[in-house]
Amino acid sequence: MAHPTRRLSRLLAALALAVLFGAGVAQVQLTYLTHWPPETVALLEDAIEQYEAQNEGVDIQVRAVPFGNLLSTLRSQAASPSGPTIAGIYELWLPELVANDIAAQLPQDLTTDLTENWSEGLVGSVSVDGTHYGYPNEVNLYALNYNTRLFEEAGLEGPPETWEQLEEYAEALTKREGNTVMQQGFGIINSWDSGAVHPWLSLVYSNGGSLIENGQATLDDPAALEAAQLYERFIANGYTDPAMGTANASTTGPYLQHFANGQTGMIIMANWWQSALRDSMGDSFEDVATAPIPVGPNGSGPTPVSYAWLTMVNSNASDEQQQAAWEFLAWLNGPDSGEAGSSAMGDILMSMGILPSRGSDVEAHGDELSTPFLEGYVSQLDNARPFPTVMGGAEATAAIQQALEALQFGQLDAQQAMEQAQRDVQSILDR
Amino acid sequence: MRPSPATTALFLAPGVGLLLVFVVLPVLLTAWISLNNWSMYTPLSGMTFVGLENFERLLGDRNFRLAFRNTLVYAGLSLAFILPLSFLLGQFLFTGLRRGRTVLRSMLFVPYMVPTIAVAIIWGYLYSPLYGPLNQILRFFELPGQAWLGSVDSALFSLVIFNVWQTIGYYTVLVIAGLTQIPRTFYEAALIDGANAWQRTRFVTLPLLRRTLLFVVVIATINTVQVFEPVYVLTQGGPANATNVLSFQVYRSAFEFGLAGQASAMAFILFLLLVVAVGAVMRLLRDPEGRDL
Repeated sequence: MAHPTRRLSRLLAALALAVLFGAGVAQVQLTYLTHWPPETVALLEDAIEQYEAQNEGVDIQVRAVPFGNLLSTLRSQAASPSGPTIAGIYELWLPELVANDIAAQLPQDLTTDLTENWSEGLVGSVSVDGTHYGYPNEVNLYALNYNTRLFEEAGLEGPPETWEQLEEYAEALTKREGNTVMQQGFGIINSWDSGAVHPWLSLVYSNGGSLIENGQATLDDPAALEAAQLYERFIANGYTDPAMGTANASTTGPYLQHFANGQTGMIIMANWWQSALRDSMGDSFEDVATAPIPVGPNGSGPTPVSYAWLTMVNSNASDEQQQAAWEFLAWLNGPDSGEAGSSAMGDILMSMGILPSRGSDVEAHGDELSTPFLEGYVSQLDNARPFPTVMGGAEATAAIQQALEALQFGQLDAQQAMEQAQRDVQSILDR
Repeated sequence: MRPSPATTALFLAPGVGLLLVFVVLPVLLTAWISLNNWSMYTPLSGMTFVGLENFERLLGDRNFRLAFRNTLVYAGLSLAFILPLSFLLGQFLFTGLRRGRTVLRSMLFVPYMVPTIAVAIIWGYLYSPLYGPLNQILRFFELPGQAWLGSVDSALFSLVIFNVWQTIGYYTVLVIAGLTQIPRTFYEAALIDGANAWQRTRFVTLPLLRRTLLFVVVIATINTVQVFEPVYVLTQGGPANATNVLSFQVYRSAFEFGLAGQASAMAFILFLLLVVAVGAVMRLLRDPEGRDL
């Protein structure tokens, strides 16, 4: 039996050889920061494995954090050269990342790939002042989701198309026991900024209104006030119970559970929640239908809010890392990396029920995009209007959320809520 | 033989050095950042000096004022429950319970050992207005269900209940430790003098438990003023800002809005608030004879 010291010496020698041998193959280390759930990360890792097999010398590690921690992780680590090399980000964050020199410019040779294969609106979502900073991936937009079983029980046919019908349907769908709302007609989300603001803004847009025009807040517009008054009536008449609309840190929680359990008749939500709904509802998911946003008295048609996510490269990474990262992203988002003409990114997104953004991905996934749930979203893509991406956008969203929640909980009336939101958003834009 | 100044400095250096690096320096750095605008995406050298602008802005900031008020309410309510409850439970476990004392003490302490994030998720389910067990129990007794975290009127109080449930075991153990330090002879003398249970508590237990209770108040104040996890997991400061507390507002300002200067100003005010609160508590509960506690 070998002496312990001798065994240790052999072990150290073996380690040294391994290090020396390993150093012989140049490795570019990349980290990919994402907020995707584990099952989606597994798909991304499969794609990475395939890429690494074809491209020796590139090592890509995925780092997944919850959505709520994605921006904080970027803030605390992106400035470091050893921070994440690639990150999936919400388009609203891009202006600040560009202003702080965190987002690297898309290399010139990939610009044609971007502009030829993505729509102009989506190219705009990855651009600041005409310069491109990444590849668009997720596309989300809002629509009215409703429970067909509850509609049948209430004797309702088809989805509401106008605000007037929306109120009538909400009344018909509401059930109470004493003063307790056991089933609310229309669900309004709170305690989550985008969940509170985007559905309401979809109603504003569908009433001919806007949020920001030429750098000025436009929440003092009658279209916004009318949407706030619609909410006010829902709550005053008991068609909406704000207590049933809370969201938690993972942007799910009671509002989702109440819809999934058949205690909410209608709600305006984005397509991404398909997988969460399916998980919660099981076979009852078949009861969920999708319809365009009901149109307000001053609107010309359904105009849902849309927003996109993109994949960017950290400009603090070394030149070698940046080059490897862009090459990987071009492959990941290209038509040869996935199944049947789709990109690997398109396949990954579709696994979550999220609409892919590349034109060829939409074609490749045509069948899946025509399911009853997603078709209602896909049909509204042309009508969708992006959420404005401006500096301070996240703070402005939070300011509107506060005004809307103050309205929901009776602290402000619709007029006061809109005055407060207008004042707060304008002061953020003026900063 | 007295040690030379150099020897004293040598022995003090590790402790003082650690204090300087991990306590004094962060406090000074926070104070310095609060005088600048900083998005956290750049090195500290990339900050823009703005003087007291961040503090001025906070004075007119509705969210900050509300977070400040909510923090005080949360801390005050928590203390109002924790102090008497931990005392009563401590007394009960130490003197009133003959069997099962260890088991009960362990059961009380277990919630404190479980990570807040984990139990907060469970409490989110318990508090659900329609399908949560708490409302089902209320309805079983034909009492009206509560909105709990879903109402601006009850959300903060619901977080207080959660905090008291989670931490009461820890403070009870502190009280029991304090009770063990009181010599039995005091109680025997009081009994001989004819003191009843209330008089023994009032004139023996409470005065001799003063140091322990002071410690409980100080630690509970520090812990409650810094509350973050349950707010982050369960309410995100909502609904309608009803549970927005200073720590959460600091987090949002720094990490979501990129206003690290303003967040540092808030953090510095939170620090001063704690210093003042703890100082006030120590002064209030100071030994009547003026001895340090």
